[in-house]
Amino acid sequence: MSRTVGIDLGTTFSLIAWVNPETGKPEVIPGPYGTALCPSIVSLDEDGRIVAGEAARRRLLTQPDRTIYSVKRLMGRGVEDVQDELKIFPFRIDPESRNVIRVRLGDRFFTPPEISAYILREVKGWAEEFFREPVTRAVITVPAYFNDAQRQATKDAGRLAGLEVLRLVNEPTAAALAYGLDREQRGRVAVYDFGGGTFDVSILKLIAAGEGDIYQVLSTCGDTHLGGDDIDNRLLEIAREEIRRDLGLDLESYPETVQDLRKALIAAKHELSHSLESNVRFLLPEGMAYVRRFTRDEFDSLISPIVERTLGPVRQALSDAKLKPAEIDEIVMVGGSTRIPLVRSRVEQVFGRPPHVELDPDEVVALGAAVQAAILTTGVQDTLLLDVTPLSLGMETMGGVVAKLIPRNSTIPASAEELFTTGVDNQTAIELHILQGERELARDCRSLARSRLPVQPAPAGLARVEVRFTIDANGILQVRARDLRTGQEQSIEVQPSYGLNDQEIERMLIESIDFAEQDFAERQLIEARNEAESILHATEKSLSDEQSAEIDPAERQRIEGAVAALREAMAGTDYKLVRTRIDELNEATTHLAELLMNHAIAAALEGKRVAEI
Amino acid sequence: MADDYFAFFGLPEKLTIDADDLERRYLGLSWKLHPDNFVNAEEFERNLSLERSSQLNDAYRTLRDPVARVEYLLARKGVRKEGQTKQQAPPELLEEVFELNESLEELQMARESGGDGNEMKALRDRLQAAGKSFEEKLAEVDEELTAVCAEWDAAIDANADEAKRSTLMARMNEILNRRSYIRNLVSNVSRELEESATA
Repeated sequence: MSRTVGIDLGTTFSLIAWVNPETGKPEVIPGPYGTALCPSIVSLDEDGRIVAGEAARRRLLTQPDRTIYSVKRLMGRGVEDVQDELKIFPFRIDPESRNVIRVRLGDRFFTPPEISAYILREVKGWAEEFFREPVTRAVITVPAYFNDAQRQATKDAGRLAGLEVLRLVNEPTAAALAYGLDREQRGRVAVYDFGGGTFDVSILKLIAAGEGDIYQVLSTCGDTHLGGDDIDNRLLEIAREEIRRDLGLDLESYPETVQDLRKALIAAKHELSHSLESNVRFLLPEGMAYVRRFTRDEFDSLISPIVERTLGPVRQALSDAKLKPAEIDEIVMVGGSTRIPLVRSRVEQVFGRPPHVELDPDEVVALGAAVQAAILTTGVQDTLLLDVTPLSLGMETMGGVVAKLIPRNSTIPASAEELFTTGVDNQTAIELHILQGERELARDCRSLARSRLPVQPAPAGLARVEVRFTIDANGILQVRARDLRTGQEQSIEVQPSYGLNDQEIERMLIESIDFAEQDFAERQLIEARNEAESILHATEKSLSDEQSAEIDPAERQRIEGAVAALREAMAGTDYKLVRTRIDELNEATTHLAELLMNHAIAAALEGKRVAEI
Repeated sequence: MADDYFAFFGLPEKLTIDADDLERRYLGLSWKLHPDNFVNAEEFERNLSLERSSQLNDAYRTLRDPVARVEYLLARKGVRKEGQTKQQAPPELLEEVFELNESLEELQMARESGGDGNEMKALRDRLQAAGKSFEEKLAEVDEELTAVCAEWDAAIDANADEAKRSTLMARMNEILNRRSYIRNLVSNVSRELEESATA
């Protein structure tokens, strides 16, 4: 069985981690440069090859036109959403971009999930080098406040990187999980996660249950466009203005210099976290120099508005959790920006107690992702995460008003059912517009998807279509419809408002240069065999369950036949055949699975402990 | 089972629910049903886990809220239909509602036309006082609801007949309508107070 890892796909840096079975502790995996921080930067070199990570970071200074950073800011967004970012970030957006942004590197265009996939592949390569084994499955973290489209884009990136994404875990939740391992923590925890490009706050309740530890998220709030980047941009804005004013030099026509200056200012920002002043001496074109002394006090007052912006979501999350700051037992700090003394002191002021800073704020999310990956794959179920959806899910109704279906901060998975009918005779379809957000009008909310429910022509009001909206454990929406008159389940086409559809992803997978280099079929075979292994394991477990005695011999025989057929296919090299046999086995065990699930529910209600289902 | 939230938790159809007991049942079922337990399972089982655990969360969200659980019961029994709830002022409150709306409108107009500080303050104080009286009424309605819920539970225990149950449900429905009307007023007041404070 291949390795499973946890990945923090960050705005500035990405990390990959695993749980070392010898120590039972999560560890980050370093790359070839000795550090576990992989710059989330991608560049297209002159030979048309993609480089990611440190190599790309070096090219940021020499080839800014072919290099991109902070792509996470573009994930799951449309062109009209990113106009503000374009003023600050040197993104070169294809003006023809429609529902998915395309960014230009040199002479080629890429979507944000493709670029993120290169970052994922880079860290995946680190892990494969480390294990000397392929890595095919991963838990990837996302900001808790990511909407459906941003989550879907992250999942697509995983798929494009050749990873089966076992779960998307919210970054603050992952951080709480990483901390929970180290200490005997109980009670209510606030996670303040101020990263490179996103801010999240989550309030959790830690419960010690008979079965193990439960991490129940009570509420979450945040801003997916607020982070250390904003501080860098503020400093850069000031420096450019001063250079223009005092030296008469406009850096507009020197993109390389701007990147270089940005780097120098970031270094000053870092220095100000442990010194009271920092001196910037920066060489400019035309033999000039920018010399500037920043004191901690000046820095604090410059960034104070940005830090204050994080406190709104903190108050909102507390109020949604129906808690006062004093009722929080522990505060956990995550993300590089929490190294800033002003951030720490403001958080301490708000909660009236010092926050935890024991774990490296850059690593803690990846460590938590590794813990969750281990929980999901080792079968040791001693910890359960109950997370929430950050935004309300709704549907557009008459007059552009949004009807809420699933309120924000609902524990996921969550669902809602709605019954639809027709308004005019012989109507052949019902249109649905699904949205996310807290505002009352559809135009103020985030459009997720539109879909058409086909109906049989009939007099108005006769059609009965039941639509079930489910937000899965990744925070991603699924829609299913059932025609109540015919009893038929419809798979309805949901056209994402912002995002790639399946065909586009397939095409990218095929077009992807890296993928062509690998043996596609071989990889497919490895993945199919892995999946087959876990299904065989699950089936054996089901069959050995005493409750399975209830199924009749013919059914048992059918299942055993399907098991044998799958084993035979696994011995061969045809991955498609393996997939077919997996489907057949799934089909054969449908009834048994339902039976065991019902028993488990019944047993749980009687208070019995059923060790495993 | 899934379409009966009470049965899902193994509870009788009663409206007084012990929060700790409900949470224990919820967490116990979460351990069994959560998709995290089924990552390596067959597709069918994964889908089943998604369906059941989402229903579990929906059920818990509904039953742990004392008002939502009454609304759920009434909707299930066909007594209360969404979109068909009556939104009219209770007759005995008509006069007070009229006054409240008047001071709401006055403050709103003053705010929109940039009224001076003293005038705004007086209007705000008046609205605050009127709002407070409705908050008290809301608390009274909640008590009333709790009392009918207790009657309902006793009727269930006594295996009361349909007629008795229908009467109780009609009363609950009437209280819920009144409650939602008053609650709307209260939230309009607090929204206006918030907006005029920042204006």
